[in-house]
This record gives sequence, C-alpha cells and structure tokens, in this order.
Amino acid sequence: MDAFSGLMSGFEVAFSIEGLMFVFIGVFVGTFIGMMPGLGPISAIAIMIPITYSMDPSIALVMMAGVYYGAIFGGSSSSILLNAPGVAGTVATAFDGYPMAKQGKAGKALAIAAIASFTGGTVSVVLLMLFTPLLSAVAISFGPAEYFALMFLGLTAIASLADGSAIKAFISATLGFMVVTIGIDAQTGTSRFTFGNPNLLEGIDFLVVALGLFALAEVCTLVLNRNEKDDGQSKNIGSLRLSKQDVKDMSGPVSRQSFLGFIIGVLPGAGATIASFIAYITEKKIAKHPEEFGKGSVKGLAAPETANNAATSGAFVPLLSLGIPGSGTTAVLLGAFLVLGVQPGPLLVQDRPEIFWGIIASMYVGNIILLVLNLPLIPYISKILKIPRPLLISLVIIFSLIGVYAISFNTFDLYMLLAFGVIGFFMRMFSFPAAPFILAFILGGMMEQAFRQTLTISNGSFGIFLDKPIALSLIGVGLLTILFPLLKGRRKYKVS
Amino acid sequence: MLAKTNQKAALVVALIAVIYLLLSFNLPAYSNALIDADVIPKGLGFLLLFFALLLYLDKKNETEADKEKRKISKKHVINLLVVAGMILVYIFLLEIIGFVLMTTIFIFVCSLYLDYKHHVTNIITSVVFSLAIYGLFNYLLKINLPAGILPF
Repeated sequence: MDAFSGLMSGFEVAFSIEGLMFVFIGVFVGTFIGMMPGLGPISAIAIMIPITYSMDPSIALVMMAGVYYGAIFGGSSSSILLNAPGVAGTVATAFDGYPMAKQGKAGKALAIAAIASFTGGTVSVVLLMLFTPLLSAVAISFGPAEYFALMFLGLTAIASLADGSAIKAFISATLGFMVVTIGIDAQTGTSRFTFGNPNLLEGIDFLVVALGLFALAEVCTLVLNRNEKDDGQSKNIGSLRLSKQDVKDMSGPVSRQSFLGFIIGVLPGAGATIASFIAYITEKKIAKHPEEFGKGSVKGLAAPETANNAATSGAFVPLLSLGIPGSGTTAVLLGAFLVLGVQPGPLLVQDRPEIFWGIIASMYVGNIILLVLNLPLIPYISKILKIPRPLLISLVIIFSLIGVYAISFNTFDLYMLLAFGVIGFFMRMFSFPAAPFILAFILGGMMEQAFRQTLTISNGSFGIFLDKPIALSLIGVGLLTILFPLLKGRRKYKVS
Repeated sequence: MLAKTNQKAALVVALIAVIYLLLSFNLPAYSNALIDADVIPKGLGFLLLFFALLLYLDKKNETEADKEKRKISKKHVINLLVVAGMILVYIFLLEIIGFVLMTTIFIFVCSLYLDYKHHVTNIITSVVFSLAIYGLFNYLLKINLPAGILPF
C-alpha cells in the first residue's frame, strides 16, 4: 500500500463515526487530565488504558494518540492561567504565557497557544507520515544486536537528558530494569526474585509501575500542597482576538519550531520538554527584542507551544517505525499498544496498515478537534482548574486503583500499586527522576531478550557487537551520553 | 559523619544492589542455556553498585529547592499515612463489600478527611462517580468490577 492510499484508508478509520467520537473523547479527556497540576500525559494514558480493553485496537489507539496530545495541550492551559504547568513539556509556556495572563490577556495567550499547537502538530504529522515508512524500511534489516544497541541508546539518552543529576537518573533506570527481571525468565523458565509468590511469576504489570510512580506519587504531592491558594488567576480572561502584529510575530517562531521541535522529538530521550526549552532559548537568541521575553512576549509563548506539540508527533516516529519508545510517555503508550495486542515496529506498516495510517490520520483530525474544542471552550476551561483538591485527590486514587484492578482482577496488584506509589514519592523527595525508571522497565524485557539472542547467535562472544557497524556506533553514542554528563559534572564541580 | 543526603541515598542504593546481587548469585543454573537467566541480573547489580559509588562521591551540594521539598510537617506525614491507610482498607474490603459501596465511602471519607467542607457536593460526587464508573465498566466495557454485597 503506498502512502497516499494508506492515508486515505487511515482517514476512513479516523472519519468513521466511531473514530471521530473516540478522537474527540481522547482529546477531551487528555486536555482535562493534562490541565490538572502535576498530572501529565503519562498519568492520562495510563488511566485511560483500562477503558480500551474491549475496544477495536485501531479505534483504541486513535483515542490514545488523542489523549497524548490533548494532555500536552491541557498542560499549557494551566501553565498560562495558573503558572502551574501540568506537564514538564509546558514549563517554558509559563515563562511568557503567565505574564500575559496577568496583564489580563489570558484569552489571547490561550488562543496563541492553541494556534501554535495546531500548526506545530499539523506540520509535524506531515513529517511523521514521510519519515516513519522510510525508517521502517531501514529498520526491517535490523537484527537483535541492532535492536539492543538502539534500546541501549534510548535509555542512556533519556537518563542523561533528565533534569537534575545524571547519576540519579542512571540509578533510576537501573532500578527500573531490575524490577522487570522479576518473574519467570522467558528463555529458561527460571523464576527470578519471586520469593515463591505465585502472583509475581508473570512479573509486575507496567500499569502498576506507571500509575504508582506517576499518578499515586503525584497524589502525595497534592496532599502536601492542597491548601495552597490558586492566586493570580484573573477572573476576566479578556478577548481571544489576535491583532495583525501578533500573527506576524508568531509566524517566524511557529514555522521554525515546527521543524526543529519535530526533529528533537524524533531523537531518543529528548521530548517535548527539551524541545520547548530549546525553542524558547533559540527564539530569544535570534529575536530583535530579547528583553521582551519573560514579560508576555508573543514569540516567547508561540515558540515553546509549537515545539512541544511538534515534538509530541516526532516521538511517534521511533515508536511506530522501530517499536522503541524514546521517552517515558511513549513507553507508556507502547504499553497501551501491547495491551491491545499490537506490536509497533518495522512490520506495523505492512501488517496492520489500518492501525498505522489510522493513527496518522487521526492526528490530523485530532489537531483540528483540539483547535475547535479549545478556542470556544477557553472561558470554561479556566473553570475546570477550580475542582477542589480533596475531591481531585480521591478521584485520582480511585482511577489508579480501578486501572490496575481491571487488568488483573487481583488485589495483590493493588497492594503492589500502593508500594510503587510510596517508592515514587520517595524518589520525588530525593530528586530521582521517574521517567528513566519507567522507560527502563518497558525496554528492559526487550533489551534482555535481544541481548541474549545476540549472544546466542555469536555463541557467547561479545565480538558480535564489534562486527555490526550500526550496533557498534549506536552503543558508542550511548556510552558517550553516559560519560559526557558524568565528566561534565566533575568539571563543573572543580570550577566551582 | 554522613551529613549529606546524597551519601545517605547512595548507601540505600548500594544496599539494594547488594541484596539484589546476593539473590542473583543464588539463582538456579540451567545447564542448556548459553546465556543463563542470571547474566543480566548480575550485570545490573554491579552496575547499580557502581552508580551508588558515583553518587556517594558526588559532592555536589543540594539546591535549596531540593531541601525545601523534603521539609514535611508532622501533620502532613500523618495526612499521608492516613490516606495510605484508607487505600489499604479499600483494597482489603473491595472484593468483600463491592466496588460501588467501597468507592462511594472512600471518595466521601477521603475528601472529608482532607478538609473538604461541602458535604452535599461530596455526597453527590461520590455516589454519582461510583455508579457511573461501575455502569461504564460492567455494562459498556464488559469488565466486571466486584459487585460485593449489592445484588447488581
């Protein structure tokens, strides 16, 4: 199937009544959850997974994609209105969005965010459509050695790019990998680290880890901060109208960052967060009036908003073409694919074209729905943020518990969920990032399998990694990403 | 003197690594496998030990914001423990009492405990939410949540 007829068949899925309805639900729920301070796309996707169990996989994934970019957009609204980014990817949005809102121009800021997101999203979907089949065609020749190397690179990249201490990120990733070794070993049947508990034989489900480390740990933070007053929210959000000058100011950053954001999104480890910061910094550097940045600049708002949405689509490239997530969020999304029995990877375009093209087509539709949904709803959106914290806390707890219970029907998993919530809370307290943990947890099983397959092919010789140029260079880059932040950390310390 | 948090955290991580390594070395061997089930765990254990050492040597001082994050008042610790206790009770009774009743009680009591004063809104939310979720899962998604002592 060529790209055009593929896309047309994808639009058939996306434009079916069911398709439209679930894209709408996905975008709406995603926006809603993303707006909640602290709850980001990872929690949004994880909470929605149980809903998809009995659904047709192509429709379910179309909805999940909607949840993903809806959550990114929702994060911008709370950044602008409350200076409380719902997601790390929208922190940079608050730099100029919040000052604009304080000046009584919240409506305008939200409109700029919506339009910038729409453009960034749409441009990058076009790029996604062009790139993914190409990369799939290359990846089809990959053996276990190359896959191992790719996943290794993905893991080291996210750990070294995580905010804060690189060592802590690596520890977090190693711990995530360790947790996935619990259960029966697929190759030898040895039960590892189960302590004779039959509930552990099949390993720990990724939803237990994802909802525990993210949603429940966030609940703890919400409990601690529940009495903080949401100050500074102006009652009047002002007009949504943009002046000609605004549009002119936006056009530069939006067109540049659509491409840059996409490329950064494709790279393993770098996602919406890094894309938005790079976008903000580059636009500030090349702007004629950099001093306006941080005081409600149109450019300073449009740039990160474009970039984070473009990066969101970019992150789909490795996920769909290689089956390898490059970030914590796409790792959870991969979990959602696997729950539905869909294995993303180079064969997806050939074997399940309806799913591949359905997701791509749904992104075009979803971006339009985001725009249509958000522009008129902006005045009401600001009210959603007023859900009382105690109720929000109770509801998030219940959602997490149902999410886990509905996959296993086993209360043991619920106790595990609580345990991971506690672990996640302590990780936050001591500044260990959780995203490398979840990515390692998802990649770990695949990495171990690929590693052992590779060594079985080579009869146990590590030399096989040296004979494969692609694998060797990927591992080399991966090792550099480990060493670089460690060395850099040293040097910085010496200087200071 | 282990004044710095990083050093304390490093010791905890090292302890995890050692326990994990001990368990890895006790994994039963499988004679036919070229690469046995213990290879990756052993590697991970030593890797974690190495990172723990690096963290221990990391002399970087914490930022004020990091320290601030850990200052939790006694009241808040009790809050967290009580909420965790409520979750435990919920899990324990979920399959006995049933989803609808337990969820209604949980949302109401938990919100009330966290100083939510609008009782009417609280009751409406908890009842409507549990019934809606139960209906959605049992009748639309065909995922049966525990009915418990209620007949439906």
